[in-house]
Order: sequence, then structure tokens, then C-alpha cells
Amino acid sequence: MAHTRLDAKTFDLIRQKLNEGVLPQWVSTDPEIYQAELEKIFAHTWHFLGHESELKEPGSYVTRWIVNDPVLLVRANNGEIRALLNSCTHRGVMLCTTDFGKRKNFTCPYHGWTFNLDGELIGIIAGDKVYGKEMDRSKWALRMIPKIATYHGMIFGTLDSDAVPLEEFLGGMKWYLDIMVGRSDGGMEVRGVPQRWIVRTNWKISADNFGGDPYHTAMTHRSTVELGISPKDPLFASYGHQVVLDHGHGVNVINAAPGLKMPPYQGLPEEMWPMFKRNLTPEQLDVFSTTVVVVGNCFPNLSFVSPMHGTKGSDGLLTNFLTLRVWRPLGPDTIEVCSWFLVDKAAPADMKEASYRSYIGSFGASGTLEQDDTEIWTRVAQASKGFMARDKDIHFDNVLNYAMGMGRVMPDETWPGPGVAYPTTYLDAISRGFYEHWLNMIAKED
Amino acid sequence: MVVDSELYYQISRFLAEEASLLDQRQFREWIDLLANDVIYRMPLRVTRDPSDGPSIIDEMTFFEEDKLSLTTRVNRLGTTSAWAESPPSRTRHYVTNILVEPGSRSDEVTVRSNFLVLRSRGNSPECEQIFGERIDVLRRVGDRWSIAARTIYPDQSVIGTQNFSIFL
Repeated sequence: MAHTRLDAKTFDLIRQKLNEGVLPQWVSTDPEIYQAELEKIFAHTWHFLGHESELKEPGSYVTRWIVNDPVLLVRANNGEIRALLNSCTHRGVMLCTTDFGKRKNFTCPYHGWTFNLDGELIGIIAGDKVYGKEMDRSKWALRMIPKIATYHGMIFGTLDSDAVPLEEFLGGMKWYLDIMVGRSDGGMEVRGVPQRWIVRTNWKISADNFGGDPYHTAMTHRSTVELGISPKDPLFASYGHQVVLDHGHGVNVINAAPGLKMPPYQGLPEEMWPMFKRNLTPEQLDVFSTTVVVVGNCFPNLSFVSPMHGTKGSDGLLTNFLTLRVWRPLGPDTIEVCSWFLVDKAAPADMKEASYRSYIGSFGASGTLEQDDTEIWTRVAQASKGFMARDKDIHFDNVLNYAMGMGRVMPDETWPGPGVAYPTTYLDAISRGFYEHWLNMIAKED
Repeated sequence: MVVDSELYYQISRFLAEEASLLDQRQFREWIDLLANDVIYRMPLRVTRDPSDGPSIIDEMTFFEEDKLSLTTRVNRLGTTSAWAESPPSRTRHYVTNILVEPGSRSDEVTVRSNFLVLRSRGNSPECEQIFGERIDVLRRVGDRWSIAARTIYPDQSVIGTQNFSIFL
């Protein structure tokens, strides 16, 4: 009889396999695992909801999600940010169905209950008559997302009121976020609104690709090599460090190939450099000065990439850009990608425009790189749902290889930043760290 | 001002021939239809209260292209490793509701059309759809028409296809 339950035996087998450097293929799209992830992971971690630059003034709001929990993110009259569950407390209607805008208050179209920007119930049609003056309206305020916090303008929320503070959750990732979003005066700004599109894959496949897989660049994006946009050297994305952080996070800091001269600070204009010196530590500045690409994942499903990319063929200029994306799970084999483009507020106008063009040409739904990523991820999900792949006892030896570099590559003790840093990015160390943390969370007894 | 039926026929036929080039994957011939100064854009659709503003966000797009960047995209499709289109998908461009107005130049016309692109990938029975409106500026060059500008307005705020590895 096939072993179908998720129990201690199941988790022990996964752990044993991870220690061997392999991952059972069945965990990719298994529906029970998916439910366990919703309960044990997504209900407890911090989630990126948006950026402060998207809420420009009191009354500004955006509507977002923490998986299936709809969030109304508002800048209140006193300037503070509120994260409210976007569900009318009367009969549950999704209160606000527009993507963004500006309001003085929110009125439900069902019975007309009205809430202010702090979520307080301030209006009921014929309220005194139908509920009486004695009704305690404070009990019927919009439910608050249990905790919110920001880091360099990035707004996070969590459904777990016992969650550790955001800065503790981010841990060593903060140091790398400083370089990506904390380097300039005034911070970053989101341009426009995020792109959203659907991909038929599991969230772990995309999170793992961004988090721990620079190795895929040479082949998945071989078309850019054929075009002369990317170097022919199959190791071109390996020069640098793969950094394993606590809590399942990971970041890859990629440098130029030895002997290849690249402009410092990812080619950002020299007029910006004094800001970097002011806002970063000497160690961060030193790492940033030789960085060409930063790519990684903040557990569970917030990924980022900041590469240097051109769009005009092999003789074009390379411009840096930053994209943050949340792989929102819609099911075991479906995600909604929400992709933001950010740029330094203080960057010169022509750099902002070039950065945006560089993003559109390479990432996003039409990106020449991202097109092939989503295709590959779809194919992983397609081949992982069968009887063989889904066997929890691994009778068919369907395990995925996460053994690259295991026991062969030792940490670089001289790395100045937090985390365990290895002197190559072609490694599966972050992936194993991601899945170990994933396993700890789903195997946790309540 | 109503354009004459001969002009309307020419424009309709041009759009049908252009769509056919795309569905036949004759991308080089398609690039040749673009003016050298072409601007090709696809802004984002958002769900928005009309009192807050239009439902199109111009600052962010899915395509923000000139002839060079579109040529790079076509060149990519000609490599051996454009996996998103290897094996190639099958597209069918349906272009309808064509309305032609005189343009701002005597050699140009402004053309509105509805588009529906159905795509079949691999052996999936699912049908991917992209649909919306296009505003083109077509320019007469000798005895041919060329595309001087195209703005594509998708109707979906969350795009249902896994990528835009095709042209609209």
C-alpha cells in the first residue's frame, strides 16, 4: 500500500535525503504539502506587501495579498501605514476591489458599512435605528493584519502575532538589502505598478531558482549567449559568492570574470557614489564596488535580482536595475507573479529611464530572460505530478539533485558580510538551506 | 471625417497580412513592416475607480520597444535556445473592429483595432488568450504601409499567459 500520509516518517525521509544532498521530487507539487505550507509557513512568516513609495500621501492605498488573505494597505491620516484585512466585518465582502487609489474612507457595497483609514467602523445606514445606540462599533473595526513593519521602505506583514520582529526575521539579509535598496538618499521608488501574470508552476521552483541557482544562467539563457549579450564562458555567472543566510534566505553576489573590467557599483553613475559612501558601511561599499549581479530569495517567496543588462544587442550599454517579485501561491502548481521595478529616487532621470528599459527587455512577462525561466519552471511542474515522481517512499528513486559542491567547496572565511559565503555561485548550498528551513517549518508540531 | 472605402480596405488587408506573418512566424518580414522610428508599447491595465484616473498605467509596460530592441527579440527567437518558443507555440491573431481615421500627418492614419490572440503551447489542451485594443499609426511609404507606432492595451490586469514570447 503506498505511503500517502504526511507524518513524522515522511519528514524523516525528506530530512535523510536532504542530508544526502537530494530532494524527493514529490514535494514540488504535492497537494498535501501545499496545505501544510499554507498552515505552517505562509501563516507565520513575514510577507512583502509593497513599498512606501506606492503610498504617497494620507488616503493612498493598494490592495495586495498574503496568499489567500486579501490585504488593504493604507496610509492613514497621521501618515502611518495600516494593513487591514480587506473583508467587511459585517458579512465578509471584499471591501475594496480596486488595485490602488486614494480614499477618505471605504464603504461596503452590500449594506453600506463605512470604515475610515484606520479601519474603524464610522458609518452604518440607519445604525441607531437598526442596531441601536448601544452597539459597540469598536468591536466591528476591520481586522488588522497582526503585524506590519518596514525596512528601507519595504513594507512587510505577517499573520502571526508571535512572529519575531521583521529585522530578526530578515537577519543577515538586511546587510544585502542595504546595498540594494538602502544605498541612496531618499531610498528607492517603485515605477508605476507591479506587473502581474500567472505561471503554472509551484512557488518553490521559482523561489529556489532565484535563491540558489545562478548555475542555470548559461543554459536557460543560452539565447543571450548566442546573441552575444552574455559571455560565452559557461562559468560567467559563477564568479562571486553564494551566501547562505539564516531562516532559509540566500543571496548570490556575482562579480565580473577574472580579467574582465566592469564599471564599479553595477555601473551606477559616478554622481551617485558619494551617497553610497555615506549610506553603506566600508565593507558593504567594498562588496558593492565589484558587484555585477545580485540575485537571491528572502524566505519563503520574495525574490530579487539586480543585474546589469542591455537590450540593444551585443554592443549596447549595460544598465543596472532592481526587480522584486513575490511568487504568490494560487495552488500546488500555479503562482501569480507580482513583479516590481524599483530605482533610486535620487538617480538622474536618464539613468532611471535606461534602467527601466533594461528591466523590460530582460525581465517581466516579456523579458528575454524571464520568458525562458517561466517556460522551464512550467516544465518542472509538468513532469513532477505522476505516480513515479509522487511516490513518498521514493520507490522509483525520484530524487532531485541538490548535491553540487557538497563536500567539495569550503566557505570563504574572509567574506566581510553576514552568512556563510562560498567562493563560487555554482553551488546548491542555498537550495539545501532553503529546503532544510522549509522542512523544519512544515514538520513542526503545533 | 470618414475615410474612403479604398483606404479602409487597404488598411484592413495590411493588418490581416501582418497578423498572418506573425502566425506564420515570419518575424523578419514582420520587422520589415516596422518604420525605423517605430514606438511599440504595451502599458499595464489596472482595476481602478474612474474617479481616481484611467485604467491604463502608462509608466509601466510589458513592451517598451524601438526597432532595435524588437529586432533583438526577433533575433533571440532565431537562436537555438529560445526555450519559451522551442518547440514553437501556435498563435492565431484575430484582428477586428477596425476603425481608421486620418493621422496627424498627411502620410499617416490612426487605426484602432480589437485583438484576440489565442495560443496553444505544446500538448496542453489549454488555450492561452491575450485580448484588448490596439492603437496604431500607420504610415504610407511609397506603395506600402508601415507601422510607425503601436500601443497595445490589454484588457486583463493580471495576464493569463505565462509570458509574452510572441508579438501582438
